[in-house]
Amino acid sequence: MVSVELTVINDSGIHARPAALIVEAATKFKSNVIFIKDGMRANAKSIMNIMLLAAEPGALIRVETEGPDETDALSAIEALFLSKFKYD
Amino acid sequence: MRDFYYQFKEELSLNLKTPESSLCTEIIEANLHRPGLALAGFTGVYSYQRVQIIGTTEWSYLESVGSDKRKEIFGRLHDYRSPLWVLTHNAGLHEELLEMCLTQNVPIITTSRETLDFCTEVQDILEDWFAPYCSVHASLVDVYGVGMLYVGESGVGKSECVLDLVERGHRLVADDIVHLIRKGHSIIGKGNKILGHHMEIRGIGIVDVGKLFGIRAIRNTKKVEVVVELQKWREGENYERTGLDPLNTDVIGIPVSKVIIPISPGKNITVISEVIAMNMLLKMNGIDAAKLFNEKLIETMKNKSRLNSLTRLSTEVYE
Repeated sequence: MVSVELTVINDSGIHARPAALIVEAATKFKSNVIFIKDGMRANAKSIMNIMLLAAEPGALIRVETEGPDETDALSAIEALFLSKFKYD
Repeated sequence: MRDFYYQFKEELSLNLKTPESSLCTEIIEANLHRPGLALAGFTGVYSYQRVQIIGTTEWSYLESVGSDKRKEIFGRLHDYRSPLWVLTHNAGLHEELLEMCLTQNVPIITTSRETLDFCTEVQDILEDWFAPYCSVHASLVDVYGVGMLYVGESGVGKSECVLDLVERGHRLVADDIVHLIRKGHSIIGKGNKILGHHMEIRGIGIVDVGKLFGIRAIRNTKKVEVVVELQKWREGENYERTGLDPLNTDVIGIPVSKVIIPISPGKNITVISEVIAMNMLLKMNGIDAAKLFNEKLIETMKNKSRLNSLTRLSTEVYE
C-alpha cells in the first residue's frame, strides 16, 4: 500500500464534476483507491462516496492505493489534484 | 396538385373552376401567397411559384377597378405561372382571371371557407407534405407521456425492452421501423402503415401488440423527446455519472436529448427507462436533480471553508 496527503486547491472543492473526473481516473486502475478525510473513508471508484466527503477548498485528503498498479494510480490521482481538476 | 385536390376536396369544400387537365401543375412550396401588391402593379418581388390566395381584400380590389383594368392586370401577370389560384368565401370568379389561367393551364379553385381559416389549414397540410422526414431502425414508446426512441445495433435488446415497457402499461408507437417527420421544432414519430403495431420477437416470431395487450398498449404518433441508445457494456468506456452535461443528438436538424445506457446481464432497462422518462418530466418542470444536488454540495463546502478560515483566524488571534 502507498499513500500521499493531497490538498484540494481548486476554487469550489470536490463537487460533482471533479468527483466524476476522480472516478474516471480511479476506475482505470485495478488497485483499490481510498480517500480519507477527517476520518471518513471513501472509495474513489464511487462518485457518491467521493461527493459525500464534501471536500472544501483547502481540505486535506489522504489518498491510499493498494493493488498491482498502486503507484501509477496514486500518481494519476495526484496529477489530477494538481491540475485543479482541469476546470473551474 | 391532383393529389391535393382529391384528398382535400370534401374537407376543405373545394370547387374546381377550370378543366380537369389543369390539375397538372405542381406545388413546390409550403408557403401561401396573397398577391395583393402584384395585382396592384408591383411585380418586383412576386412569389408567383406559391399558391395564390384571393381573399376579400384582393377580390374587392379586382371588383372595384372594373373590367378593362382587370384585363390589364392579368395581362401583366400572364408571364408568371402559379401552381394554383384559390378564391375564398366562394367569391365570384372574374372572367379575366379565368382566361389567364385557362391559357396558362393552371387550376382555379373556389372554397366556401374564410380566408384565414383556409390559409391556416392549407399551410398546415402543405407543411406536413414538405416536412423533412426519414426512417430509422429504432423503436418508439410513450413512457409516462415522454416519447422515447430506442436505437442500437440489432440484437441488443430493443424489442425486448419495448415489450417489457408495454407489459408495464406503456404505449407502443412503432417497433423496428420508425418514420420521423419534422414539424416546427419537434420531431414526430410514427409507425409503418403495413407493419402497424406488429413486433418481431426473437424466438416467437411476429406478434400483434394491439391485439395482445389491447388498445391501451398502442398509440399512433408521438413526439420524440429522448433518444435512448442501448449499447453493449464496454470495459473501460466512460459512461455519464453525474448527469450534469446532458447529451444531445441531432434528429433531422433538431437537437433531441440523448441517453446512452450500457447493458449487461441482470440490468433492468425497463426500470431505467421509466426513470429516464420521469427525470425528463422533472426537468421539463424545471427541476434538475443533478444540478440542484451539485449546487447544494458546493454551498456546503463554501460554508465549511468559511468556518475553517474563521477558526484559523481565531486561533491566530488567541495564540
